[in-house]
Amino acid sequence: MSGARWHESLARLLVERGVAPGEARRLAEDSRDEARAAGVDPAELFGPAAAYAAGMARAARPAPLAALTRTRGPVVLRLTKVVKRYRRREVLRGVDLTLRAGEVAAVVGANGSGKSTLLDICAGAAKATSGLVERAASIGYAPQQHGVAPYLTPEEHFRLFGAVHGMGSRRAVATGTHLAAGLGWRPRAGAVAARLSGGTQQKLNVVLGELNRPELILLDEPYQGFDQDSYLDLWTQVYAWRDAGAGVLVVTHLLHDLDRVDHVLELKGTEDR
Amino acid sequence: MRQQWLHGFLDLCLLCLLLERRDYGVGLTQRLAGSGFGDIPGGTLYPSLLRLEKQGLVRADWAASDVGPRRKYYELTGEGRDAAAERVAVWREFRDVMDRMASRAATAVEES
Repeated sequence: MSGARWHESLARLLVERGVAPGEARRLAEDSRDEARAAGVDPAELFGPAAAYAAGMARAARPAPLAALTRTRGPVVLRLTKVVKRYRRREVLRGVDLTLRAGEVAAVVGANGSGKSTLLDICAGAAKATSGLVERAASIGYAPQQHGVAPYLTPEEHFRLFGAVHGMGSRRAVATGTHLAAGLGWRPRAGAVAARLSGGTQQKLNVVLGELNRPELILLDEPYQGFDQDSYLDLWTQVYAWRDAGAGVLVVTHLLHDLDRVDHVLELKGTEDR
Repeated sequence: MRQQWLHGFLDLCLLCLLLERRDYGVGLTQRLAGSGFGDIPGGTLYPSLLRLEKQGLVRADWAASDVGPRRKYYELTGEGRDAAAERVAVWREFRDVMDRMASRAATAVEES
């Protein structure tokens, strides 16, 4: 991507992330001059525009009001000594976790340490070899892959997922459209999911997970920042769900500041034996 | 682990460097590297500087230089200088506690 385009998309991405347009333009101009002064490409100096916009937007937005004492609700997910074995490979060895409504748990660990497997087990999409999984009845689940059906439009997704939760089709579409608007996305009629950009597919996935105001939200953080698409600031969304009273379990593949998270579950991964 | 720690201390590092003297972004990157912290990516550095600016601890000004293009210079505000001094004191206290703990652990390892 050329320098000029990088700065243009930075300005746009900052606005999408809630920075006032005037300030977004000023920050983009600053970045342009800074890169020019350093004599390098903006992407080289600042990294991908999407990731940089996320960092700058977080820094630029007014500080949130002092955190109120959060109310933690009932337990929405309890894992007791959960083990998963594939043939002779032990992927999860005795995972314990108690997550309450109004809390966030982050699952971290190297590739192949069983993070996505754990998410599937929590969702009920895979079975634990042993151990106990207890969870709230109403869950939202946004996996990394297979979250959306490529040949259905967003509206059809809303109806389909709404039906699962016993919502009428009109209410499902209205709710889905409303939630999408909250993420800065207005679904166009007729475009199937396969035709949506990566960032928009992610938004669809998040809307579907949220459709029924679930008590427990399970999600897999997308690998982002490698293209210039407007990905959500997922963590802003995570804390918004938490503050609305949901328990959130996030599988994360990137290094983050995990200070604000209530539980960090580090999976070690295992060797074959 | 080093990277994660540094992430937590970057604001303090920047306050310390700017307490010494005002500087521009690339200059700060070089001084951080020269101090032994390795290369800090611009994607990490500039958001930190912006945050400090928003907190009123740092003031940024574009200045023309005699050679080459104009650059954005960062310097501490009065409040920034106070914050730097205060945080350095807190850091020292924290470091002493950690040192004592690490020494006890090292002794325990030797004795076992």
